[in-house]
Amino acid sequence: MLKRKMIKNFSWPLKIATQEIEITRLYPEKMMELPAAERGIHELDATICIGCGTCARICPNSCIEMVHYKFGSPLKNKKMQFPQIDFGRCMFCGLCVDECPVECLKMGKKVIMAGWERKDIVKGPDFLATKKFSAKEVADLEAEAKRIAAEKAAAKKAADAKKAAVAKKPGKEGEAAANGAAKKKAAAAEAKPKEGGAA
Amino acid sequence: MTTASEVLSSIQSAFPGAVIDSRVESDLRLWATIDSKKILDVCKHLSSKHSFDHYSGSAGVDWIARNEMEVVEIMASHGTHKVVAMLKVKTPRENPSVKSLTGLYWNASWYEREIWEMLGINFEGHPELYPLLLSDGLIGAWPWRKDFKGYPDLTTGERAVEITTPDGYTEYRFPPTPAEVEAGTVVVERPKYPTFQEREEMAITSDSEMIMHLGPQHAMVPGPFLLDVLVEGERVKKAFLDLGYIHKGIEKIMENRSWLQGITYTDRMCYVAALSNNECYCGAIENILGLEVPQRAQYIRVIVEELSRIQSHLIGTGEFLTLIAGVGFAPWQYMIMDREKIISLIESVTGARLTHSFVRFGGVRNDLPEGFAEQCKKVLPYMKSRTEEFIELFAQDPIYHARMENIGSISPETGKRMGCSGPVLRATGVAYDMRKEDPILVYPDLDFKVITGTRGDSADRIDVRLREILESIHIIEQCLDRIPSGPIKPEAKVPKKLPAGEAYYRVEDPRGEMGMYVISDGGANPYRVKVRGPFYATFQTLTPLLEGTYIADAVAIAGSMDGCPSESDR
Ligand code: SF4
Ligand code: SF4
Repeated sequence: MLKRKMIKNFSWPLKIATQEIEITRLYPEKMMELPAAERGIHELDATICIGCGTCARICPNSCIEMVHYKFGSPLKNKKMQFPQIDFGRCMFCGLCVDECPVECLKMGKKVIMAGWERKDIVKGPDFLATKKFSAKEVADLEAEAKRIAAEKAAAKKAADAKKAAVAKKPGKEGEAAANGAAKKKAAAAEAKPKEGGAA
Repeated sequence: MTTASEVLSSIQSAFPGAVIDSRVESDLRLWATIDSKKILDVCKHLSSKHSFDHYSGSAGVDWIARNEMEVVEIMASHGTHKVVAMLKVKTPRENPSVKSLTGLYWNASWYEREIWEMLGINFEGHPELYPLLLSDGLIGAWPWRKDFKGYPDLTTGERAVEITTPDGYTEYRFPPTPAEVEAGTVVVERPKYPTFQEREEMAITSDSEMIMHLGPQHAMVPGPFLLDVLVEGERVKKAFLDLGYIHKGIEKIMENRSWLQGITYTDRMCYVAALSNNECYCGAIENILGLEVPQRAQYIRVIVEELSRIQSHLIGTGEFLTLIAGVGFAPWQYMIMDREKIISLIESVTGARLTHSFVRFGGVRNDLPEGFAEQCKKVLPYMKSRTEEFIELFAQDPIYHARMENIGSISPETGKRMGCSGPVLRATGVAYDMRKEDPILVYPDLDFKVITGTRGDSADRIDVRLREILESIHIIEQCLDRIPSGPIKPEAKVPKKLPAGEAYYRVEDPRGEMGMYVISDGGANPYRVKVRGPFYATFQTLTPLLEGTYIADAVAIAGSMDGCPSESDR
């Protein structure tokens, strides 16, 4: 009798341990209902984020870092930089949400974010994004961005050529040189967003 | 009714030439720079002739560009009139020194000690200019001066250096090391003063006396502080209080944060009263900006702040009652459960349960959610009946009476003299409430009573708090009936940089008078934020109150203050 009890003592924990059980019981056992205004884990609409970094600058705890992410809009976010939030430091003040100029950052009702390691609670745009583009959509958008950039470049070139032609007429050396410099600058400025778009 | 300009002309006629500079901001606010030689006389004149009997605090400001320091004395009256006089005294940055007001106002002591240890301004005539908040290692570094380099290395601001020992352990070296200081290779000038322990030992006069520790982790006030009592038998002969265990330097931190970011720090000064701290900071900044808050936003602020008062009083009372035998334990559970209901109401508006960061410059963050009024109509009547039950329960418990009544009594005169405020002062019968004194938000339009007690003892303090809950419910009900629709934020965007200026704004925190003195130099960060917290003032009264009582009553007295060392250590 006693033997059987002892065996049970061992077998019971084994049985429990091998089954999927809750390790920590939730208390109160039912999660309370959270209000609509709840300031929980951030939600990012990657399709409209413009990568301005305002959220990163306003954060009092510097927990936002702008990182590269694929599935956003290359049209709006030329460098494809999106916020990554360190929830180990975030105090859920909501300033980043309030200051976002395009209102793509929101705070949701998700509040559980435990992880085994510190880096587990640093959540990148992939985790935060509730809305994002598929790979195909991104490719399309990139093509679109390239096309627009190319179009713009062409238009600019044409305009510059016209300007240069106009400027040349008076035939002053100095002015022409100045114009040339301006043109170079414009071309450089244009090249930048193109690179970003392609990246 | 006395007005600020009358006070100013009275000073000018009584002391010709004493007022160097002055500004009458409104009928209720006077700013004046007083000749440092005359400040004592001016204060004497004000307190005797214009009943400025409330020394509300003082702030030190380091004007490094002008090479001078300033001490701003904040003076008010306990209900005779509503003028707040901000009297500035200037002193050069080399060997700064001003006259101490401790001879005139008992409670000036802590404020001056704080200014001394933070900024190094000496107070002539202060009887015990010892450190209050800082640890001994930082004295002499004057950390709130604008040219303070950093800690732990006071000379270069170098941080702790991580070194790996030969055995592979990590150790930290804090420059300068004691050996270096000893050898004189780094010059750290430290003022001489007796340490806390030496001061205690000095007070022992006979063999029958001993020092007993209550704290730093005693439960009578949540949060760490050291209370040592010198006892003879069961009687407390003298009490010694040491704070600074959780000093965060929030005022200094805020100087390095943008105006908007500062809101989040006010939350953390006293987390059970985060909303009134938010309000106080934002109100001061609205004053500087000259911003008008939309009506709806004002009502929302009043609603959430009163809800916050209810939850603060519930936890303050409940927590304290667990320390008092008798009826004590049961109400704690009920109060904390009821408090959850109130917190959920606040959360449904602000989105957070404790640290709300809700009030914004010129408005609030969110509008009231749909169905908020209905939710309130469910919770508030329940809260009301519950509070009435609590009051009745305490009224009939003999053990509670024995432990609370006539214990730690404060007379109205003592209360005023010691500078305490909030329920502690109101329990003595002085109807002093910032919601009546300073016409902020829509409070002047609302009908409510200032709850007062009669005996000023521990039982009265609890009773005042409980009855204030009923009054807050009454205020919220009125607000819900009257709240207009409309915008909740100012139309124009609030600029990132504030115009240069200064403001002092007061609110009635659950614990009493809370004021913030904010200075802008036209930059993107505050130049100085001084927080005049309510519990800091109340805490100061604890040591004299304990003298002559039994040790067993210390808990009832300290606990009934509803303390928050986090706020006094801000
Ligand atoms: S989330 Fe908003 S603020 Fe942050 S980078 Fe994107 S657009 Fe800018
Ligand atoms: S909620 Fe506050 S602390 Fe958290 S990321 Fe946003 S700004 Fe930073």
